[in-house]
Amino acid sequence: MAITALGYALTFGALEPADFTMINGTEIKSLDPAIVSGAPEGRIINALFEGLFRQDPQTVEPIPAICERHEISEDGRTYRFHLRKACQWSDGTPITAHDFVWSWRRFLMPETPAEYAYQLFYIPGAKKFNSGVLEVGDRVEVELANRPNPRQTFPQGTLLRGTLRRITKPPEPQAADGIGEDEQATRRAHWQRRWIYEVEIEGQVRRFRDAKAELSAGDETSAQIEPCQQVLYDFAEVGIQAENDRLLQVTLKEPTPYFLYLMAFYPLYPVNRACVERHGREWMQPENLVTSGPYRLEFRRIRDRIRLRKNPNYWNADQVQLEVIDALAVNSSTTSLNMYMNGEVDWALDPPATVMSELIQRDDLLRAPMLTTYFYRINTTRPGLRDVRVRRALNLAINKQEICDQILGAGQLPARGFVPPGVAGYQGALCGAYDPQAARALLAEAGFSDGHRLPTIELLYNDTEGHRKIAEKIQNDWQKNLGVQAQLRGMEWGVFLDTTDRMQYSVARAGWIGDYPDPNTFLDMFVTDGENNETGWSNARYDEIIQTLAPAEKDPSKRLALLREAEQLLMDQQPIIPIYFYVSLNLVRPYVEGFYPNIQDIHPLHRLRIVPDLRRNHRRSFLRR
Amino acid sequence: MILFLVKRLIWIGLTLWAVFTASFLLMSSVPGGPFQSERNMSPEVRLRWLERYDLDAPLHEQYTNQLTGLVTRFDLGLSMSLQDFTVNDVIAQGFPVSASLGIFALVFALALGLAAGMVSALWRQSIWDVALMSLATLGIALPNFVLASVLILLLVFKLPIFPSAGWGSLEQLVLPAICLGAPFAAYIARLTRTGLLEILSQDFIRTARAKGLPARRVVLRHALRGALLPVVSFLGPAIAGILTGSLVVERIFALPGLGSHFIEAATQRDYSLAMGMVLFYTALLTTMNLLVDLAYAWLDPRVKLD
Repeated sequence: MAITALGYALTFGALEPADFTMINGTEIKSLDPAIVSGAPEGRIINALFEGLFRQDPQTVEPIPAICERHEISEDGRTYRFHLRKACQWSDGTPITAHDFVWSWRRFLMPETPAEYAYQLFYIPGAKKFNSGVLEVGDRVEVELANRPNPRQTFPQGTLLRGTLRRITKPPEPQAADGIGEDEQATRRAHWQRRWIYEVEIEGQVRRFRDAKAELSAGDETSAQIEPCQQVLYDFAEVGIQAENDRLLQVTLKEPTPYFLYLMAFYPLYPVNRACVERHGREWMQPENLVTSGPYRLEFRRIRDRIRLRKNPNYWNADQVQLEVIDALAVNSSTTSLNMYMNGEVDWALDPPATVMSELIQRDDLLRAPMLTTYFYRINTTRPGLRDVRVRRALNLAINKQEICDQILGAGQLPARGFVPPGVAGYQGALCGAYDPQAARALLAEAGFSDGHRLPTIELLYNDTEGHRKIAEKIQNDWQKNLGVQAQLRGMEWGVFLDTTDRMQYSVARAGWIGDYPDPNTFLDMFVTDGENNETGWSNARYDEIIQTLAPAEKDPSKRLALLREAEQLLMDQQPIIPIYFYVSLNLVRPYVEGFYPNIQDIHPLHRLRIVPDLRRNHRRSFLRR
Repeated sequence: MILFLVKRLIWIGLTLWAVFTASFLLMSSVPGGPFQSERNMSPEVRLRWLERYDLDAPLHEQYTNQLTGLVTRFDLGLSMSLQDFTVNDVIAQGFPVSASLGIFALVFALALGLAAGMVSALWRQSIWDVALMSLATLGIALPNFVLASVLILLLVFKLPIFPSAGWGSLEQLVLPAICLGAPFAAYIARLTRTGLLEILSQDFIRTARAKGLPARRVVLRHALRGALLPVVSFLGPAIAGILTGSLVVERIFALPGLGSHFIEAATQRDYSLAMGMVLFYTALLTTMNLLVDLAYAWLDPRVKLD
């Protein structure tokens, strides 16, 4: 055993050095674009795959990728994408409009399951297809339980198309007390599997039930009920069509001004059908993976590195300079900084805040305001905090400028709104600025002068040094300016998420990264009962603007004005206290070109270049030090 | 001997089962889950994820399913945080890393510890003895992350000899192996010193000396074998310590070994990977203890296995 291990260790000496080595943060969850949601995943998927568009690293505007040109109809609801002829998969087959239709079908299939599925809900029928919630009269597709490989979703079983005539539901199990929300959702799902769907197919009514259903005593059993895999809304009714191999047409419910940004968002990048169908779960193993982007996957070593090699078949391969890239999975920011300082990597992310005052003077620390907000949620269902005046007083009593200057120190901006600056044409709404006197007055008005009779506020955060320091500072500000007692509760990450999700907190730390540069990616969080609301706050006008008025508005400036109104509501009602806007922090060696700090912190690897002369000199001066 | 082995193997099996059950219960009672993030999933999507990993089944079913998979197929399931891999894949890739780190650390600890211990014992109360034993005390007292910081400062930044972190070449293993092995080297040095001193004062050594054997032969042939016994019995806990100690060291030096996987599995609530790690560590430790017991019987004829 010892000898094998040693031998294994020795084989690593032979690793060819990469042209460019970067820190990629946490190990990625998966290479499947459809199911992941993190930034480290994004960096790798953007190198391996390609979408209709990409975002330009300088302006973050969408620029054509697989799509060569596109047309938008007068009413802004129909997009026609003309695909580039030269685009092909790494196995040599061309990338066609049918690949997009199939990939988006897969993306929306409930079984996939895609966390970002809602990014396509702007397309009529997409939500229905994804949720599996059907109405009588809908066109539906029934997938029979005859998949060639039952352990794989693809290839699918036989698909029958028809019209839903009736759903027979057994009595719904009673919601019992003392059962968690998750458990109840599970029971509901098991109950739904027992439904019988009557579908008219070519003039004949047939009855189907999920083959996986676990039947109870009262369930109808009859030989006429055919077992099926699933009954979904007919995908042909969803507004995604391949007119021909090179023309993709997408219809939208409402003109969605940021739709092209979504087309440049990695979960919507197409994947290779043949590869997925042949290899099932194993399709993203290096020996199987078929990709479309500027790089191919050479190998993956778990929690060590991902090696990328330039794809010579990429349509724009001439513009790709770096041949071999290593993305290291390093979790600790101190270790990353050590590796960068020692010249082992060319790009490191998020240096530790403890050394910020020294790093800030270096010109290889690239900084830019980011589309990300650090804020505190307030549980508006708690006594005391139910009163809007108390919530506003808590905001007014925090000296955010001091947090930015004394604790963070990397040029972060104190936040008075929820949407970060940098969205073109949008002027954010504001909540009150630091004003201890006004805060005290408001609190007194609410009947809690000097914090008297106000229940102790529990301040929840995930326990890292940075969050703790900010929480301590805010605790101190509240005590000093309002006489309000806050108790700090630092928690381990998983416990923290669970506690916030269950709303067992008074005030809790949070952060939000915008998916695309539009206020909507921030504001749609706080609609009533939104999954990410978690404050118990609800406002009818706010819901109306976010859900109906703004999406229907054709005039971009009027739309932004509506969104601003919504943000102002959010700021006046203060279910959240914005604290500061992030800046992206990247340490990049000076010989790297094509790296642009931007509001979404996206840095496509295929646009990076290394100036060899600069690198040589740099190394020499570095060694001398 | 055979009976002893059979008995011990049954005990190992029972231990594994107990550890499995305890871990299963603990994991199912800890708040949070593998599919929770700051960006919440819709209930439908969440449910599909739970289904994929069989987490929607009642607890007793999950327990029996996992146990049967484990016993019949050695299948630890799919990792929930590394979704492209099975837990078996993760262990297969992580173990050689931890093993080579552990072996280097152990070899370093043994070489340094034995040499220092012998020098101290043979030149008792010399300046060397005092210096080495003070160093050993320091080595036991210093936690390995402190030692790691000091070594990185000295041998990476002040004198650029070694890389600061990473995995891929032998030189990247040197610093982590030293950090991991140092406290054990210190222990071994002290054990060797004490053992050797005790043996050297015994009658058979005096006899050997009286026979006129050269001093080197007396020490190496007669004394050392007896003096090594405490060291060998320390190897069991040492291997355990090196394996679990590598959690911290692997993180500081960004090594993709079992320790890193273990920490991440716990923080990301990757139930299947955490379970796999716990069971693998248990199996490894119990096997190592068994090997140490066998070695003990071989070194000391007075020990009987039954």
